[in-house]
Amino acid sequence: MNDKQQSVRLGPNGKPVRYFVMPDSLSGKLQVWRYLLLRRAVQLGLLLLFFGTVNWDWKIAEQPVLTGNLSSSELLGFLPLADPFAVLQIMLTRQIPQQEVLIGAAIILAAVALIGGRTWCAWVCPLNMVTDLAAWTRRRLGIKDVFILSRQIRYTVLALTLFLSALTGVAAFEWISPISMLHRELIYGIGAGWIAVIGVFLFDLFILRNGWCGHLCPLGAFYAVIGKVALLRIAFDTPTCTHCGECAKICPEPQVLNIKAASVAGMIASGECTNCGRCIAVCPEDTLKFDLRHHIQNQQVPNTTESQQRRAA
Amino acid sequence: MDLTRREFLKTSAATATATAAGISVPAAVLAESGKGDADIQWDKGVCRFCGTGCGIMVGTKDGRVVATKGDPDAPVNKGLNCIKGYFNGKIQYGQDRLTQPLMRMKDGKFDKNGKFQAVSWETAFDEMTRQFKKTYNEMGPAGVAVFGSGQYTIPEGYTMAKLMKAGFRSNNIDPNARHCMASAVVAFIQTFGIDEPAGNYDDIEHTDTVITWGANMAECHPILWARVSDRRLTNDNVKLVNLTTISNQTSDIADSEIVFKPGSDLAIQNYLMREIIKRNAVDHDFVKKHCVFATGPYDIGYGMRPTDKYAFEAEKDIQVKELRVTLDKHEAIAQRRKEGEVVEQKNTKKPVKHWMISFEEFKRGVEPYTLDFVAEVSKGDANESMDQYKAKLKALADLYADPKRKVTSFWTMGFNQHYRGSWVNEQIYALHLLLGKQAMPGNGAFSLTGQPSACGTAREVGTFAHRLPADMVVFNPKHRARSEKLWKLPANTLNPKVGSHITKIMRDLEDGSIKWAWVQVNNPFQATANANHWIKAARKMDNFLVVSDPYPTVSAKVADLILPTAMIFEKWGLYGNAERRTQAWRQQVAPPGEAMADVWQHLEFAKRFTLKEVWGEKTVPGLKAKGFEDGKLPDVLAEAQKMGYSPEDTLYDVLFATKDNLKVKWPDTAVAKGHGNHIAEKLGDGWFPEKALFNEYREFGVNFQHDLAEFDVYYGDKVRGLKWPVIDGKETQWRFNEKYDPYCAKGSGFDFYGKALKALPSGDLDKVTKKDKTSLAHKAKIFFRPYAAPPEQPDKNYDLWFSTGRVLEHWHTGTMTRRVPELHRAVPTAQLFMNPDDAEKRGLKRNDLVWIESRRGKIKALLETQGRNRPAPGYTFAAFFDEGVFVNKVCLDVTCPMSKEEDFKKAAIKVYKA
Amino acid sequence: MNTKSSTTRRDFLVKMGQGAALAATGGLIWSYLLNQQARATPFAIRPPGALADPDDFNARCIKCGQCVDACPYDTLKLATADAGIPIGTPYFIPREIPCYMCEDIPCLKACPTGAIDPALENIDDSRMGLAVIDIENCLSWQGLRCEICFRECPVQGKAISVEHHPRRISKHAMFVPLVHSSDCTGCGICEKACPTEEAAIRVVQPELVQGKIGDHYRLGWTVDTPITQEFEIRGKPDAGDRAPPTGLDYLNEGPL
Repeated sequence: MNDKQQSVRLGPNGKPVRYFVMPDSLSGKLQVWRYLLLRRAVQLGLLLLFFGTVNWDWKIAEQPVLTGNLSSSELLGFLPLADPFAVLQIMLTRQIPQQEVLIGAAIILAAVALIGGRTWCAWVCPLNMVTDLAAWTRRRLGIKDVFILSRQIRYTVLALTLFLSALTGVAAFEWISPISMLHRELIYGIGAGWIAVIGVFLFDLFILRNGWCGHLCPLGAFYAVIGKVALLRIAFDTPTCTHCGECAKICPEPQVLNIKAASVAGMIASGECTNCGRCIAVCPEDTLKFDLRHHIQNQQVPNTTESQQRRAA
Repeated sequence: MDLTRREFLKTSAATATATAAGISVPAAVLAESGKGDADIQWDKGVCRFCGTGCGIMVGTKDGRVVATKGDPDAPVNKGLNCIKGYFNGKIQYGQDRLTQPLMRMKDGKFDKNGKFQAVSWETAFDEMTRQFKKTYNEMGPAGVAVFGSGQYTIPEGYTMAKLMKAGFRSNNIDPNARHCMASAVVAFIQTFGIDEPAGNYDDIEHTDTVITWGANMAECHPILWARVSDRRLTNDNVKLVNLTTISNQTSDIADSEIVFKPGSDLAIQNYLMREIIKRNAVDHDFVKKHCVFATGPYDIGYGMRPTDKYAFEAEKDIQVKELRVTLDKHEAIAQRRKEGEVVEQKNTKKPVKHWMISFEEFKRGVEPYTLDFVAEVSKGDANESMDQYKAKLKALADLYADPKRKVTSFWTMGFNQHYRGSWVNEQIYALHLLLGKQAMPGNGAFSLTGQPSACGTAREVGTFAHRLPADMVVFNPKHRARSEKLWKLPANTLNPKVGSHITKIMRDLEDGSIKWAWVQVNNPFQATANANHWIKAARKMDNFLVVSDPYPTVSAKVADLILPTAMIFEKWGLYGNAERRTQAWRQQVAPPGEAMADVWQHLEFAKRFTLKEVWGEKTVPGLKAKGFEDGKLPDVLAEAQKMGYSPEDTLYDVLFATKDNLKVKWPDTAVAKGHGNHIAEKLGDGWFPEKALFNEYREFGVNFQHDLAEFDVYYGDKVRGLKWPVIDGKETQWRFNEKYDPYCAKGSGFDFYGKALKALPSGDLDKVTKKDKTSLAHKAKIFFRPYAAPPEQPDKNYDLWFSTGRVLEHWHTGTMTRRVPELHRAVPTAQLFMNPDDAEKRGLKRNDLVWIESRRGKIKALLETQGRNRPAPGYTFAAFFDEGVFVNKVCLDVTCPMSKEEDFKKAAIKVYKA
Repeated sequence: MNTKSSTTRRDFLVKMGQGAALAATGGLIWSYLLNQQARATPFAIRPPGALADPDDFNARCIKCGQCVDACPYDTLKLATADAGIPIGTPYFIPREIPCYMCEDIPCLKACPTGAIDPALENIDDSRMGLAVIDIENCLSWQGLRCEICFRECPVQGKAISVEHHPRRISKHAMFVPLVHSSDCTGCGICEKACPTEEAAIRVVQPELVQGKIGDHYRLGWTVDTPITQEFEIRGKPDAGDRAPPTGLDYLNEGPL
């Protein structure tokens, strides 16, 4: 029945709506999974570099490969990297940290400005694997949300983080962050941090879909704010879109896939997009793809002009 | 104001803490702490470690040693212990305790290249016997050897010495004590004609001056040092001087520290004697009545092999000095010769020979040792000003020479482990004798020992290659005859040829002239210098090595057969400490698994030999003695049969379970008081071996200047050891002093009655001029011995001095202390101590891992530039307890040519980053 | 229209209120957790050079573990959530692995935020804690010859000295170790080495055990105080303003 109905449905561009079908061939599957695999490779690879440097004394040219953890680290003994959000919290405690960590934070900020704020969430954050697992399980088991919470709440949490850091004199999120706990304990030895991680997992699984990453995480919120200006974007090719809705179904932040807004901008403009690439993989029309902001805008300009011209006509 | 502020601060702090510590413990606390102790049974015992001989009480519960305490009644330690003694109760419970015999096996039988596997005692003894007989039949008594010990109990040392000397007719038994105090022994015998100190520990409380020479007493004799410190603290007149090559903990409370160059102690001693003569501080009356002057040859080598056939390439430039020495500037002056003169070492075979000289000759001998010369030769710390150093030497002379001052000199391995160890020992007596400050309360030169029964067993029982019990020697026909009589042996059973000393046993293993050896209570493959040679010899040569040990040691690792051995409180035993005190303990607990005490191992081994296998004619290469055919021991079986022995009798029957001994019954309730005896129980023939054999051994010393009490006396509840000679139940406090020693002739005042070497030819400083021997009975000898330079010294390539020794926390090769987790945690590894400037020069810093390399090998250690030892520039030190920092791979196997004791204190090394 | 807009406004106000309440409740619980974490166990033994004020250290430490990476002895650990120490911060347990006092202080060099203070140049000047001796259970204080803490102390003679004094009940001296806070770095090598079943010398934060002599007093022998020869009058008593007289209550009131 459904199939029949769908088969006759037409998209706004007049083309029949097609839906995503998982290919049978392995190569086809790999094609679909390419961003997922790449993300896992980056996440685990980074973790391995950190772990290997501490525990197996990995070195390149006599220099430790990657010391520290995601809060702050040093690459090859000279390039400092630091979590700008953690550094911001520290600064709010009225401590001026050393130059090194400031440079590190600046480097990460610059990178974020380049490749998108929440790219960090999908490509680096180790907790992402936990919440993805929860989301996958949830889809399989068809669990419904217990309550609905505004996704905007994360900005409240972000504000609260900054406020509490100033108030209590300690970096408020850093002290309870399940992300840091998971990451630290994976690298430096396991303790009760797992409890927090399991808490996030259970919360995401049984209580609220994308509960942690999509609603509460202030770090994600911080990167979302920064990410607004980022260069790397999901480009949206309006004419090809049939409004099949596959992208929104798979997207952990479906509110970013506002087709109207995307059509206007020619890209997913919201900073909340994590650049995870899931939508690209499932889009049957190849409407979505990674591209650079100025590139997209250059293309969009004539388009807009054209439509304006059309409207004018 | 006389007191400086700093001193004042120090004094006031000490007073404050004294008050705090003086507060008595409330009775309630005492009662509480005693609660769990209700079912602990206590008995007296002796500390297992050093030669101090602290008494302890051993508490057992349910067949385990659960507690120990310092024995409050023990006169040595009065309830105290050092941190090793504190752990006596834990040493036998290490996790890797050996409980079964282990033999190298392949395809079900012994194979030198096989892996260790557990075997039965029966199999172990069978293979051990088979191998012994193979070697013994092929090479005679010279082909077998025993590495003995200064940690043998008296019965253990006695049974082994008797088995080797009377049974197997081999003198190849030598203890690790050779490396510990053989130089002291030579000097005792040469100077006094009898071994062991005149005085005792009470000298500490009687003296006003304590001089330590090459003895870090603060760490190595901690409880005695507590007594010395107490003496210093409670009497302002008391002065302490520490002479050392490396600034150490003993200096911390000393009034003066003299850091001298290795080997230059010889020069300092001669300076002191020269001063004493110049200042007319000689006690001429004492010297005239009780002393003579003597000297000996200088060209005696350094105890190395006369050939470099076995030397590593790098060793050869040192090896050649065994044959000829080119005198350096200082030696030339010291020996009244010319710099650069090449001296052929002609007296390496007879280094001990000596002759009388006149006082005038003696004076001529010490004449070159002026303050300027000696200060130049001996100043050890380049950062110290010459003037300050000279002032210290002069002040030292002041202390010795002051007629109102009593002086006690202590020394240990700094003197003994010395390429001229016997000389430095002799000269310290010379100094005291010249001053008439010997053998009286508070006055005397006192040789400290390092092992719990170096005196009691190794020396008194005579587990040396040249000794018999009670100071007798194998090369003396009268001594052999007396021993044969006491042991009920046919005449000429005993071998008159001195056996191989411990370093020579190693060399013999290397060159294949010994092919069977038994190591007991000893870890010689870690404890002998130049270890790379000996490890290779053990593993690569065709030989059979048995090691009896409670734990897997380096020596066990290179062995072919390992016998699991009972430890101290798992057996009955007696030890003799450095002040001639014999102390006893009972078996407290049974040994674990199949472990058995050494005495049982000896007796069981003896059962496997009949008289006809050992008392027939034997070839002994090089034997040359009056009454013996050259190179041969006679067949004594016929004589034995006349004495009632059958050729089929076993050595067990003839030497140990004799008719008389079997009369000494076990169980012996009066002495045992319920304690077990696993040896007697296992033998099962109803006798009490330790008691029977101790009382048999005792006969050697009675009325022979070495009287011990009967076995049972030492087990009396009130007795905390007795200092021999024990005469009419009374111990002797100061020997050779008529007031205290019944052996002294009436009216003599002092009587150096020792009998050895008491007739000498006469001569001048260089040679014998009158061959006729003069008797010097009842007299002691004052030797002149010149300064001689160490054979190996730092040079361009190996640019640092290296010395090894001990730390307070560990004992010897760490077999026991490294198995106490707390001690291991406290001092897990032996560090290389180095001057911070030397470290900086080499681009090294504290805790760096460094290579220590000598001509003989290289090892790794962590670098330490501060802490307990503070070497001057150019000096380094690392302790030898740590198997992981195998110090003896670096050390030089030069020995004192007289005592054959190795010099572990003077090697040249280089250090660089690992 | 009106109703609709007023409903929207009310909804908006309610939502605002709900949001604020949520934020307030969450914030309260959160800040409570933070305080618990940061203040409940401020006495962790920190790496050498760690900022002395626990608040400063806790604020500055970014919990990156680079100091842990840099420590050649595996002394330092990052606190896990159950370690009883502010989570994620570096600390060490001296009885397990003490600080071996590297001359080049690699942990300090690794710290990117300055929580480990780069002002520390000489490791001997670090103050990780203070060693304290339990004299009731210290073997040396009972007269045994132990003094392992003294011999193993990397600032030997200064941080720990041994005072000799007579034992009185026998002719032995006692060798009692004393810790000097002026030089003790709190490295914990003594605690690690102490041979008693439970360490009789332990590193603690000085605040827990250290007293203080009053500012108004100098020990007689500690400071040179020569009589000032040219005395200078400095400061003046309050002049002019007549304050109300004191002591009147007592003088005027109450029974005699």
